[in-house]
Amino acid sequence: MKLQVKLAIYNALSKALIIAAFGFILPLVTQQVVYNHIDKRLIARSDRVLKIISRGGIEEIIMEQDCSFESYNILKEEFVSIIPLSNEAHPPETVIANEEWNVGGENLKHRIIRQSFVYDNQLYQLSIGEGLGTIEQLNITIVQFTLAMMIILILVSIFMDIGFVRILLKPFNKIVKEKLQLPQNPSNYNFKEHKTNTYEFNYLDKSINQLMRKTRDAFLIEKEFIANVAHELLTPISILQNRLENMLINNEVPEEFENKILDSQKTLKRLSKIIKALLMISKIENDQYLKQDEVVIEELIDEVLSELSELIEEKHIVVIKTMQPMSQFSPCNRSLLFNMFFNLINNAIKYNNIHGKIIVNGWKEDEDYVVQITDEGIGIESSQVENIFDRFKRFHAGEDGQQSYGLGLPIVKTIADFHRVQISVESKQMKGACFTLRFPHIDASQH
Amino acid sequence: MNVLIVEDEKSLSHEMEEFLTHQGFNCDVAFTGKSASEKVFVNSYDFVLLDIGLPDYSGFDLLREAKDGGSDAAFIILTARSELDDKIKGLDLGADDYLAKPFSLLELQSRMQAILRRKHGLKNNVFDIGEFEMDINNRTVTKNEVLINLTKKEFDILHYLAINKNKVLTRMQLTEHIWGDIMEDDYDSNYIDVHIKNLRKKMGTQGDIEWLETVRGIGYRVNL
Repeated sequence: MKLQVKLAIYNALSKALIIAAFGFILPLVTQQVVYNHIDKRLIARSDRVLKIISRGGIEEIIMEQDCSFESYNILKEEFVSIIPLSNEAHPPETVIANEEWNVGGENLKHRIIRQSFVYDNQLYQLSIGEGLGTIEQLNITIVQFTLAMMIILILVSIFMDIGFVRILLKPFNKIVKEKLQLPQNPSNYNFKEHKTNTYEFNYLDKSINQLMRKTRDAFLIEKEFIANVAHELLTPISILQNRLENMLINNEVPEEFENKILDSQKTLKRLSKIIKALLMISKIENDQYLKQDEVVIEELIDEVLSELSELIEEKHIVVIKTMQPMSQFSPCNRSLLFNMFFNLINNAIKYNNIHGKIIVNGWKEDEDYVVQITDEGIGIESSQVENIFDRFKRFHAGEDGQQSYGLGLPIVKTIADFHRVQISVESKQMKGACFTLRFPHIDASQH
Repeated sequence: MNVLIVEDEKSLSHEMEEFLTHQGFNCDVAFTGKSASEKVFVNSYDFVLLDIGLPDYSGFDLLREAKDGGSDAAFIILTARSELDDKIKGLDLGADDYLAKPFSLLELQSRMQAILRRKHGLKNNVFDIGEFEMDINNRTVTKNEVLINLTKKEFDILHYLAINKNKVLTRMQLTEHIWGDIMEDDYDSNYIDVHIKNLRKKMGTQGDIEWLETVRGIGYRVNL
């Protein structure tokens, strides 16, 4: 799961928890606040009524006939009542409570203050009530509104969180993409530091750079070693080869040794081929070849086919070439690409059957141009297919009687990589092999 | 023909000297850039075989100096570095050819002959092979004015055999001559045999080709 998603989920959950808690507490708190306000008001009113009574006497308020008084305002939200109590009763002095109160035949919920007082040796109870209907309605509305506002705010904040996290993680994505994902040659790796004020990303960037410096050093040492060894070996081989040649040319050796010298020459040649191939691979990987040419791939293939035409005829091989038009592939190294196609087509001939077929197809696919070279030859054993481009595994291929492909295919792979051409192979033994090359970004509309 | 061999590896220069002397060249040897530089200015050579990787001197500097000094020797660069840039640089500086080590001495000789033909515009660019005539400039083989239709590779093989007449050329040497380094192959392959077979087929119908001999187990030879 992405860190971004994880953070978003964590934020959403924690905020939902806050809302839930708030949603539970808020009605209680508002109710308490509202009751406090009402209670203060009720106390103030009852004090006023008691003052009026002490000043003007109770007679003015209470009708003679039933010695009690009740008065409502018109919306039945407030009432005041004074009732005489028997002198034996001992009600508490002041009580505030919610009660149903019958107002004109209707039971309505009220907050009521009851206060008992003595006037003229008569115990009275003063009740002042305030209707709770409107206030409770208001209370519900306030809670609903507040919750709605909070949910909206939280949603907005979640979106902002996601956006912020995305911005926050941008340097991370950039570092990973530019430093680790792009195929880069360690010898010209981009060590530029990314500008970010997040400590962790700076740390990551520096650590990757450190690692890549080590990799680059190891890489360069290896390349230099290969190049030096190859170079130092070629000179003695040169001496041996020329010496053997002189022995043959000058007829210095008896005939029975001639074949031995020839075999030695072949062995020497094989050695120098291997060294040259390794040198070439190392040089390609070291970017020591220029990429300054433009080629039309079909023309290059035609050139290779004509170069190999006699071998094709000799084996009575039929070449079927179908290629969509394409523009030039550039920048590239023409001689390396020639070498690549030469190796592939030469293999297709070498391992083909008499009267076999070689099918060369080329087509556009999205931005790319795909070339496929298929033969009907002996193919490659399935266990070998994945190792076929591996330069060091190849050396052992001949041991158990399997044919060895030499360093041809590792070179092909290196040249393809050098040009960012994707190469893949499919093969079944005795059914032939199919090599697919995907050339990046060729605009086929031109040409 | 005077040849200066500039090569710090003594064994190698010795082999080259032995071969070229045997082929009728007068050889002079320099093991250092300094002595080579002196020799180039004092003596007149037809060929300078120049190793680029000298310990005391850059072969390129030597080449530049010699060319500036008006030397009209043909320069062939020899190098184990086989850098493409080196080749371009060398040819730009006026070298006549470029050979990567290890090279075959026969290949060296054929390059030298090619340079001679180019430089001096040799009139005898046409020579006989048995009853046939080979025209190197036009790259044709004829018999009594009748053109034998040879492919590029067939012509090259025949030409290489002809200029090295009476010497056995191995399949390996022939392969290397016509394919260079690009043919990643085992040398027992029959590619050369295929070309020779075609040559015999095409020329045999026109005349006698007894001179093209198969040397069992080794290669081919033109006996003239």
